Amino acid sequence: MLLEISGLTKYFGGLAAVSQLDFHVNKGGISGLIGPNGAGKTTVFNLITGVFPPTTGRVTFDGIDVTGKKPHVIAELGIGRTFQLNPLFADFTVLENVSASFHLRPKSSWLDAYFNTATYRRNEAYILEQSLEILQLVGLDKVKYELAKNLPHGYQKMLGIARALATKPKLLLLDEPIAGMNPDEIAFTLKNIRKTQQQGVTFLIVEHNMQILDLCDRVVVINFGQKITEGLPQEVRKNKEVIKAYFGG
Amino acid sequence: MELTATTFVNMLVLSSMYILVALGFAFLFSIMGILNFAHGVIYMVGGYICYQFAVEYGLNQWISLLLSVLIVASLGLFLEKFCFRPFFGNLNRTIVVSIGIIVVLENTVNILVGTSTRSLPAFIPGVLRVGATSLSAERLVTFIIGGALLAATIWFIRNTKPGQQMQAVSQNVEGAALQGISIHRVSALACVMACGLAAVAGCLMGAFLSLTPFMGDYMLVKALELVILGGIGSMGGIFFAGLIIGSLDATLPLFISGAASQAIALGIIITILLFRPQGFFGREAK
Amino acid sequence: MIDKHLSTIDRRRLVKPSAYGGLVIILFLLPLFIKSPYWLHIFIITFVFIIATVSLRTIVISGQFPLAHAAFMGIGAYASAVISKELGWSPWLTMLLGGLVATGIGVLIGYPFARLRALYYAMVSLFFGVGILQVFSVFQKWTGGYSGLMGIPRLLPAATSKLPYYYFFLGLTTICLLALYRFEFCRIGMALKAIAQSHQVASSVGINEARHRVLSLAVGCFFVGLAGAAYAHYNLTLSYTSFDMLATLWLFMYALIGGIGSFAGPIVGTAVLFIIPELFRGLKEFLPYLSAAILFIVVFAMPQGLVGLPQLVRLWFTELRKRVTHAS
Repeated sequence: MLLEISGLTKYFGGLAAVSQLDFHVNKGGISGLIGPNGAGKTTVFNLITGVFPPTTGRVTFDGIDVTGKKPHVIAELGIGRTFQLNPLFADFTVLENVSASFHLRPKSSWLDAYFNTATYRRNEAYILEQSLEILQLVGLDKVKYELAKNLPHGYQKMLGIARALATKPKLLLLDEPIAGMNPDEIAFTLKNIRKTQQQGVTFLIVEHNMQILDLCDRVVVINFGQKITEGLPQEVRKNKEVIKAYFGG
Repeated sequence: MELTATTFVNMLVLSSMYILVALGFAFLFSIMGILNFAHGVIYMVGGYICYQFAVEYGLNQWISLLLSVLIVASLGLFLEKFCFRPFFGNLNRTIVVSIGIIVVLENTVNILVGTSTRSLPAFIPGVLRVGATSLSAERLVTFIIGGALLAATIWFIRNTKPGQQMQAVSQNVEGAALQGISIHRVSALACVMACGLAAVAGCLMGAFLSLTPFMGDYMLVKALELVILGGIGSMGGIFFAGLIIGSLDATLPLFISGAASQAIALGIIITILLFRPQGFFGREAK
Repeated sequence: MIDKHLSTIDRRRLVKPSAYGGLVIILFLLPLFIKSPYWLHIFIITFVFIIATVSLRTIVISGQFPLAHAAFMGIGAYASAVISKELGWSPWLTMLLGGLVATGIGVLIGYPFARLRALYYAMVSLFFGVGILQVFSVFQKWTGGYSGLMGIPRLLPAATSKLPYYYFFLGLTTICLLALYRFEFCRIGMALKAIAQSHQVASSVGINEARHRVLSLAVGCFFVGLAGAAYAHYNLTLSYTSFDMLATLWLFMYALIGGIGSFAGPIVGTAVLFIIPELFRGLKEFLPYLSAAILFIVVFAMPQGLVGLPQLVRLWFTELRKRVTHAS
């Protein structure tokens, strides 16, 4: 088990956004966290990555209790993520977006960076090389000098994923990665996810678009912050509760 | 006993004057999205204009006050149209514009009046006897005028159509525009009101304390304290914060020096804001 | 291949490093042509304020608006002045101490303030700056009260004219700007700019937002404190109204007029707003109107600030050429 969620609960004021949630993610697989809009999926991501602490419950990653730790610590431990509204470094170029995201690995100390030591130069060369590789992988190579804010929407989403990959995560949380994409882009993204998974990255994907089910090994369905069911994609697809949650009684 | 009564009245005067200026500043911020750093200078100009008419030209002081309000309000109209409206919502630019306005107004006052401290004579000289204590009539009247203006402003915002339009714009500019509200007219009205209120405060404070070229900076900081501590978007917050800060400013200097009381008051404010950045009644930030 | 990529990132900088080098050479040779002590004084003050505005921008690139920057200049100035005056230490040492005191206080407030978002940070900084000034006033015994602090030890006691001071400040400014330039264009600066654009994304790639924000504040405060201290030992008197909220607003203004988006912006803005009014000294009391006019022209006509002027002129010429070719 790479990631384990137990008893996760988050109250905002009097409202429970997430309630007594239990599930786990196995290493090397692609897991899906699906549910209708407002089910609390992004809140679960925010709880895992430390954007805010849970009211109660525990998050365990790779054997370490990471409940409530700060986002940059979570990133250091090996969880990367994208965001639903896909914020980017808007005034940076595509290349800068990715190379800025190589903050953790390799890590240059402030002194190394400021005094341009040999270690720093070596790290920066490596980062540049890796950034170009990632951009080629996601197909953004041709626009690497464009400002991120000038990119069309699909490219921006791709950039979000590229950026998350730069942190060399063990677990990658994708928040609605194919929302707003056209069919070609969707196929391309799904292919890239499979490719990256083969290189050893575990995925947990939040979507409300059922298309993602094709990709997943296991799916957890939540609504109103609570787990409805979990299991194989084909089981979940036929589950009556799930259908009710999406389409109503 | 007399000291307590005087202090109490001072507290009321300071609070009401701070709130007058802060309210106007808040209007400009919530309706036009600008931090008008020049608001303090406008307050000062109001006081100096009254001085010009009352002391230099010998007009009746109350008429001077009214003239000052009219002139400053028209200035507000001018500023809104040419300086603020082009930069609606653009904080960076409006900082620069405000400083430009500060330079122009401060320099004009310097040239016309000079930089020495002036004093407006009391609007209503003499004292009032209430039981065994005597209170400055001037200060009581200042507070009464201030309080009345504030009440009138609140009534205006709540109960008249233009006032409600101001509320609408401050909450949602696009929504208000879609409803057919003329944003330009609302922001012009807000600016006129803000400047007019500041001018009244300037005149009254000019008599209560004195007129100095620095009074604007002092009042700007007070206005910011009230708006931020009270909470952005909350009129009630400004009143509440105004009472608290007015009380601090009226009582602390009795025990320690003026500068020390300011430092302590600011320390308290900073501490509160560190734990509660949205102030007392502001919308939850973060 | 790596150089090719780095050079394209380089191209985004508006002003090339070689231009700065040329400027330093010109300034080095300037006293051969301009001998008037009054003008040397103007340049010295401009240098001091350039350090102040560039260090201000160093903090601003992390997304923080330190509305207490002038107060930190005052902290450095008073710390250095008082220590050297009371304890008799050399101004060269106390100058650095002044910078360090400013840094220390910056770090002290930096951590608690770092939890605040943009506007709230700005306002709390503003209150802090005003508060610091009141503290100066409370400790009048050392800081000199309303009449000001006098008798500050000279930086260059053997100097008989302003010329040595001119070269000292030119040297100091060059060193400070080099230091700040490197800070911005290495990975640290990149991390700061990342935080400013999206603190969410920055955290998610492992950037410790609080530590970086405190670092940028510490660096900014050090240099402005140092500049203030150097100024104190040149001017020999200090008065705290030089460091009030309006002073901070002016610093922002010089930076914004020049163009806060680029490293050269504050330099250009400060230089223009100090030197141009001096050329028109004959206007006397109407001089501030000239400064205000420059302000209004820039804010209405130049969205990128003065550094964007070459680009604007280029655009204007292209428009003009288009119109001419269409007409014929």
